[in-house]
Amino acid sequence: MKLKLTTLALGAVMAAGPVMADLVFPALSYRTGPYAANGIPFADGYQDYFTLLNERDGGIGGEKIKLMECETGYNTEKGVECYESLKGEGSLVFQPLSTGITYQLIPKMTADGIPMHSMGYGRTSAKNGEVFRGIFNYPANYWDGASAAVNHIMDVDDIKGKTIALVYHNSAYGKEPIRTLEELSKKHDFNLTLIPVDHPGQEQKSQWLQIPPRKA
Amino acid sequence: MFYREAGDFKTTYTQDSQTFPIKFDRIRYYLVLAFAFLVVPFIINDYWANALILPFLIYAIAAIGLNILVGYCGQLSLGTGGFMAVGAYACYKLMTSFPDVSMFIHVILAGAITAVVGILFGLPSLRIKGFYLAVATLAAQFFLVWLFNRVPWFYNYSASGQISAPERDTFGILITGPNAPAWMTYLFCLIFLTVCALIARNLTRGSSGRSWMAIRDMDIAAEIIGVNPLKAKLTAFAVSSFFVGISGALFFSIYLGAVEVGEAFSIQKSFLVLFMVIIGGLGSIFGSFAGAAFLVGLPVALKVLGVDILGWPTDIVSHIQLIIVGGLIIMFLILEPHGLAQLWNLTKEKLRLWPFPH
Repeated sequence: MKLKLTTLALGAVMAAGPVMADLVFPALSYRTGPYAANGIPFADGYQDYFTLLNERDGGIGGEKIKLMECETGYNTEKGVECYESLKGEGSLVFQPLSTGITYQLIPKMTADGIPMHSMGYGRTSAKNGEVFRGIFNYPANYWDGASAAVNHIMDVDDIKGKTIALVYHNSAYGKEPIRTLEELSKKHDFNLTLIPVDHPGQEQKSQWLQIPPRKA
Repeated sequence: MFYREAGDFKTTYTQDSQTFPIKFDRIRYYLVLAFAFLVVPFIINDYWANALILPFLIYAIAAIGLNILVGYCGQLSLGTGGFMAVGAYACYKLMTSFPDVSMFIHVILAGAITAVVGILFGLPSLRIKGFYLAVATLAAQFFLVWLFNRVPWFYNYSASGQISAPERDTFGILITGPNAPAWMTYLFCLIFLTVCALIARNLTRGSSGRSWMAIRDMDIAAEIIGVNPLKAKLTAFAVSSFFVGISGALFFSIYLGAVEVGEAFSIQKSFLVLFMVIIGGLGSIFGSFAGAAFLVGLPVALKVLGVDILGWPTDIVSHIQLIIVGGLIIMFLILEPHGLAQLWNLTKEKLRLWPFPH
C-alpha cells in the first residue's frame, strides 16, 4: 500500500513537471554544527548515490538527476529558508534530516503538495497515510524501533521485573519512543528509567552513571 | 541641501518635540511606512516572507525590547531566549485553550504574561549589577528552557515535546499554519513591529525613558535626584519582556509554526539578539532595526552569493559565513563601538552640510 502510494506520488510529480530537464532532488544536509559528525557521512552518501545513478545508468529512466544541497546545520530556521528556496526548483522529494525541521515542514509540504521522506526519524504518526498523504517515514520509525528492541530482549531473556534505561536526546528527536516504551513496560511488566541528555550532548558521564551496573 | 533645519519653523511645542524634527526625515519616514504597508504586501512571496522579512520583523521587535533593557536602562540581560520562549508557550497555551479569540489578543496577552515573568526575574537587578546581573538572567534563560522541556502541561503532552501552531484566522483570513498567505503574515508582524517601535520610541523620549537613562548613566546619582530605582528598573524589565514576549509569540505562531524549546530558544538566541542590539547601536530604536536587518540578512546574502552564484560547497560557505559574521562583529566593535546607528547619525550630520562643507 505504502509503496504504491509512493509510486503514485512520484509518478504524479514526474507527470506534472515534464518541462524540467533534470530530476531535482534537494538535500537538506547538516555538514556543520554540533551534529556534523553524522551529518557529513549521510550527506556524502546521498550525493554519491545520485552521482552513481547518473554515471552508471544515465539518471533515472534516462533523466539526469540534479542534486541541490542546502546546509541546515540542524537548525530549524535555516531549514525553513532552505525549503523555501528549493521548493520552487521543481523539487521531487525532501529529506529534512532533522526531526525539528520535519515537524516544521509537514504542514507546509502537505499544503504545497510535495512529498517528504523522513526515513527513521520525524513524526511517527505520519505513518497514517489517510491523514498525512505525502509524508513517508519508511523503512522504520521510532515506535518500530522501540518495539523491535523490546521484542529482541524478550527473545533473548525474560524481561519481567527488569529495568530498561532509555538515554535519549532531550528534544523531539529523542522523545518520540518514550510513549511506546511506557505502554510496553505496562504490557510486559518491566521498569523504564528515562534519562535525558541535553543538547549538544558531548558530556554524558553523569547520565550513564545513573544506570546502576548489572548484578552478575 | 535637502536635509536641513533651516526654513522649517516650529511654532508650537508639539511641533518642536516631534520625533523627526527635519522635514526630509519626516517625509522619508512616511514614505517607508507607505511602502511597507501599501506596496510590499502586493509583491511579497513565500520565499521573501519566510527567509528574510518575517525573521527581520520579529527579531526587530525582540531587539527593540532588549535595547530598552540593555541600551536604555543599562541592565545587561542574557535571558532573551528564555523570555521569547515564555511568549511562544504562552501564545501556544492561549491558542489551544481559546481557539475563537483573535490572534491579535493572544499575541498581546502572551506579551503581558512575559512581562510578568520578566518582572519576576528582574527583581534581582535591584541588588546586583553588571556581570552578576548577566549571570542572574542567564539563570532565567536556563531555568525557563528547562521548565518548558520538563513540564508536559506546557506542550499539551505532545509525544515529541514540540509545540505546533494550529490554524487560526484573523478577520476571516488565515494567519497561522501552512495555508496562511504570505502577505497576511507579513502585515500581521508589520503591524506589531510598527506599534512596538512607536511605543518604544515615545516611551524612551518621555519621563520613563529619562529615568531609565538616568539609572543607566549612574544609578546612585539618579537615586539622589529622585529617580525611583525600583520603579525604573522593573518598568524597564516589564516593557522589555513585553516586547520580547510578543516577538517570541510571533516567532512561534507566525514564522516557524512548530518549535522545540531547546533548539529554538536556546542561549544562542539570547546572544543573537544581544549582538543585534550591540551591532545596531545601544540605546537607539533605529539601531535595533539596523542590527536585526544586518544579522538576519547577512547569512542569507552570503549563502546566495556563495552557493547559488559562485557554486561553492555548502559546508565551506557555511563555515566562511561564521568567519565573516564574526570578523564583521569584531570590526564593528573596533571601528564603530556605537553601532550602525552611530554610522547613520554621522551620515545625517554630513548630509546637513552637503554639498558645501565649510
